[in-house]
Amino acid sequence: MIDYKPGKQAWYEENEPREGKAVDQIWIGDVAGSEVPTCSLTETIGDIRRRTGGWDTCVVVDSKGVVLGLLRKKELDADPKATAEQVMRPGPKTFRPNVTLEELLKSMRDHEIQTNSLVTTAEGRLLGAISRADAEATLAHEAAETRTDS
Amino acid sequence: MSIQVFSVSEVKKLLDQGAQLVDVLSEGEFEHDHLPGAINIPLKRLDATTAARLDRDRPVIVYCNDFG
Repeated sequence: MIDYKPGKQAWYEENEPREGKAVDQIWIGDVAGSEVPTCSLTETIGDIRRRTGGWDTCVVVDSKGVVLGLLRKKELDADPKATAEQVMRPGPKTFRPNVTLEELLKSMRDHEIQTNSLVTTAEGRLLGAISRADAEATLAHEAAETRTDS
Repeated sequence: MSIQVFSVSEVKKLLDQGAQLVDVLSEGEFEHDHLPGAINIPLKRLDATTAARLDRDRPVIVYCNDFG
């Protein structure tokens, strides 16, 4: 017998699939976009800006994809010769993929977060990001579909 | 009976090799969510009779909610 000691929460925190009634819930790991730009600690703001184009967010990660910091518009507008490490916001708030979209949206509303929220595994590996606008739109769409079905 | 502790990736590998997955949480918790392919044998009802559902020739992976 094998004791899977970390349990199902650890499984879900890796964004692995689930069965049961919870399939009908939207978990943020289901909808987070993985296209959010990333950079290393040593990349310069100028290079990052050229590479990421119109994005106003870039996630600073290590070689394993673990989130170290975040660059928002203010940091991306900084001295182009500065490195990501010099200007990043270290240790940004992250969410696990098994948080429901409703829970995420409540947190974003409570903390007046208007931009992207980062979704990571329990070890901090970046899975994707979800914007406040996308979260609101997805939940509104889901509510409209539920009303149509009933 | 030997008990080993495994990670997510190791569990996935064992499942690919035909291991059985047993959720020992309550029926209600199991109905809400569980790992794909798991069967439910609540810990309080785990005995020789309920365990008879399991194939004795294949590894059995048991899980609950988390470390707690």
